[in-house]
Amino acid sequence: MINAEIAGIIIMLIGLYGLMTKKDLIKQVLAINVISTGLVLFFVGMGYVEGGEVPIMPQQTVVDPLPATLMLTTLVVDVAITSLALAIILRMRRDER
Amino acid sequence: MIPLLVACPLLFAFLVSLFDVLGVRAKITRFLFLTGAISPWIVFFGIREKVPLDEIVGGYAKTAGIQVSLDYINVYFMLAELILFFAVSIYSIEYFSKHRKNGKIYSLLLLMHTGLLGAFISRDLFNYYIYMEIASVSAFALIAISEEKGAKRAAYKYLILSLTASYLFVFAVGMIYLKTGYLNAELIRGSILPSREIDVAAGIAFSALLLKAGVFPLHSWLPDAHSKAPDPVSALLSGIVVKVPVYGMLLLYLSLPLTKRFLTVLMVVAFASIFFGIVLMIVERNIKKFLAYSTVSQMGYVVLGVSTSNILGSVYYAFAHALIKGALFLSVGALIRAQRSKEIRNLSYRGDAILMLSILILSLAIGGVSPFVGAYGKSLLFEGMKKPLEYILYIAGIGTLVAFTRLNYYLLKSRENFNAYSLQRMPPFLLSLLVLALGVYYGQRIDYMDFVLIVSAVIGFVLLRRSGIIEKDIRYRFSKTVGEEINIFMTVFLLFTLFLLLQNF
Repeated sequence: MINAEIAGIIIMLIGLYGLMTKKDLIKQVLAINVISTGLVLFFVGMGYVEGGEVPIMPQQTVVDPLPATLMLTTLVVDVAITSLALAIILRMRRDER
Repeated sequence: MIPLLVACPLLFAFLVSLFDVLGVRAKITRFLFLTGAISPWIVFFGIREKVPLDEIVGGYAKTAGIQVSLDYINVYFMLAELILFFAVSIYSIEYFSKHRKNGKIYSLLLLMHTGLLGAFISRDLFNYYIYMEIASVSAFALIAISEEKGAKRAAYKYLILSLTASYLFVFAVGMIYLKTGYLNAELIRGSILPSREIDVAAGIAFSALLLKAGVFPLHSWLPDAHSKAPDPVSALLSGIVVKVPVYGMLLLYLSLPLTKRFLTVLMVVAFASIFFGIVLMIVERNIKKFLAYSTVSQMGYVVLGVSTSNILGSVYYAFAHALIKGALFLSVGALIRAQRSKEIRNLSYRGDAILMLSILILSLAIGGVSPFVGAYGKSLLFEGMKKPLEYILYIAGIGTLVAFTRLNYYLLKSRENFNAYSLQRMPPFLLSLLVLALGVYYGQRIDYMDFVLIVSAVIGFVLLRRSGIIEKDIRYRFSKTVGEEINIFMTVFLLFTLFLLLQNF
């Protein structure tokens, strides 16, 4: 059986493959986003406990909330950097023209 | 108290960007920027007596909260950051005064200040990553702001490579968390057992941090990014931003059980970086690229300290290098500004005694000549090192001096009258006096061995000049698009990561 962590790692590798082979700058930024998606999946899968509940009220078994919280921060970084990268690409095209 | 160090510049970054949007007079924004730059100093003086100091932010339990500390590992990184940023902030007031968007630049600089301080006080791997990203994101934007041709391209390359490295670093942190259940460096140390997963995590994390530190063979983004950036930003990038990953390596070194073989490989990489940087320095013609390659070489020394388990040596060397390289970029920036050229051959410092003196002091200091602070870092780095390695390092020291002899030779040769701005001359000059004062403070005396080094460096330079290698126009030029360059660099990065991973099997 494939679990969420393995799936996350595979998605990250797909993103890295994209960075190694695609020449188009927009595609490279998308490849970075694919890596970050894989990373989020890896972390969320890491915190998962079989049969665990939402960690809001004290219950029998809950999933580990920390990895999901960490990923919120990473997602914020990701959004900021994606917009910055796209802005730089636009300016770069204007320069080269 | 420690988190206040980070909170002050962050608050002022916010205020500066707010006031800029509201259209407040430039004078007030400038004043706020300087206050924000100095504010951590006040906090630092408040807690200086109590170092070493530990604190959990918000007063939570250690297992749940984020730990910040100030102790022998990071207090010198902090000091270097505070001193250099202060000098750079004064320099940039003059430098950016004509710039249209200077409010935005000031707030980005303050954000970088925040990120650097936050990363250096952190003892929590994830918190460290977040602050490192804050510093790097402002660095990308500040490079892209430069009007020079190719600056956007350099910023893009830096962004993509650095971001990929960050994601791999977080991935490694996740694996460490999976095995130990902690993100805090001390708690990880307490509960870690050697296992294959930890080896893999160490390999990936170190490879990512080596890329961010610009160590050969992962340096390819560094010369462009550091040479195309505006001069004060270059000083920050080469001086202190590349030290953040080194602090991360120290944290990892202190928390993970690294194998002997792994450290040996790291040492080989460090030596390769030292010599690679020197060779490219000797043939480089663009003065800022010359300094950027010198950073590649000097980062090799810092990583060497980590790989020989010599933490103090690494910390002091990083401290010395931050001051020296920052001041070098600032003084060279003043020359470039006044003479409008970046070619080493067209520049000259003969018309300005202050800049001449500071560049001479800094050139000697970076070669590790006593009584400057570089010599103290170097002597600590040499401690406990095996004999053959020490001799190799002497050769590297001579190589660095040869490269800087060449720089000073060209700067002395041509004569040109020019007027540098006094606000641009003073910060590097004061920094170079500080480099001398700190060296004396650490008990460095004039050493006769250094004369041998200097003389052999001059002889080496004369021989190289006779042979014509230096005069030749050696230029390798990729005629590749940015996309293709990224493809190549990324492949190199992944191969290097794979190589580090295979060391533990």
